[in-house]
Amino acid sequence: MSDTTYQKFVKRWEEVTDIPPQTLGPLTGVYKQITKRLKVMPWPWFVAASIGFVLALYVLVGSTITILTSLLQGGF
Amino acid sequence: MDFIGVLAVDAVAFGRTVTGLITRPYETYRRIIKHGKAGELVFVAAAMVLYFSLASLVKIASFRPFLLTQQFALLFWAATSGVLLSVGCIYVASKLLRVKTAFVTILLAWSYTLIPTILWFLTTSLLYLILPPPRTTSVLGVMFSLLFLIFSATLLWWKVTLCYLTLRFSLKLDLVKSVVVALLCAPVLAWWTIYMYRWGVFKVPFL
Repeated sequence: MSDTTYQKFVKRWEEVTDIPPQTLGPLTGVYKQITKRLKVMPWPWFVAASIGFVLALYVLVGSTITILTSLLQGGF
Repeated sequence: MDFIGVLAVDAVAFGRTVTGLITRPYETYRRIIKHGKAGELVFVAAAMVLYFSLASLVKIASFRPFLLTQQFALLFWAATSGVLLSVGCIYVASKLLRVKTAFVTILLAWSYTLIPTILWFLTTSLLYLILPPPRTTSVLGVMFSLLFLIFSATLLWWKVTLCYLTLRFSLKLDLVKSVVVALLCAPVLAWWTIYMYRWGVFKVPFL
């Protein structure tokens, strides 16, 4: 391994090990699966989660959803 | 390097960081904590100034310089108090958990979480002008509501992710301790939110 590559590797290694790895007991795998998708270009997951959330809300409250929108629109 | 040069360098860094927050939030937060400069805060403040100028115009709805200036100052200082309160809370919580970190580091990391907030408030103000509320229960009203709520929720997930990364990188905390810090800060921020609502400054908290 050349010196430059080795220096880059060391720098990267120091960056990655700067914070301790996340462990959540039996949920560690689930956590890693979720965060893996959020580290690079998370938008498809954000949009998918939002669509799911809003549709669930629509199923629950129906057209009353427009009241929430009116409140939020006047909320700035 | 002269003042303009420094400003240009910080502007490029700010642009790179915002692009990074969209495409690679995790790596970008690592970079903010390691190499971020306080000068970048100027551009976050500039984005806030831009938004509050527009919001003042929309809220006052007439060109009356005294009222506009009063409204702008109110919004700006209220938002600044919210940011300082949030950062102060996180800093105090970090001290309680005996984590070594600098106030400026948290301030810089937290300031970037305002990007989704500013974007949401800016879009909502513009939509208020184009399609003023209330929404009706017609098909178009419901369709607009669904789209608006999907947009709002998407920005909310982005915001939550950036808040978590702020705690993860600036305090080097794991998920459980991050939740503890959030729970410690929540009552103070809830109190701030209620007072901002009562005083008619922000109905939706600008945090």
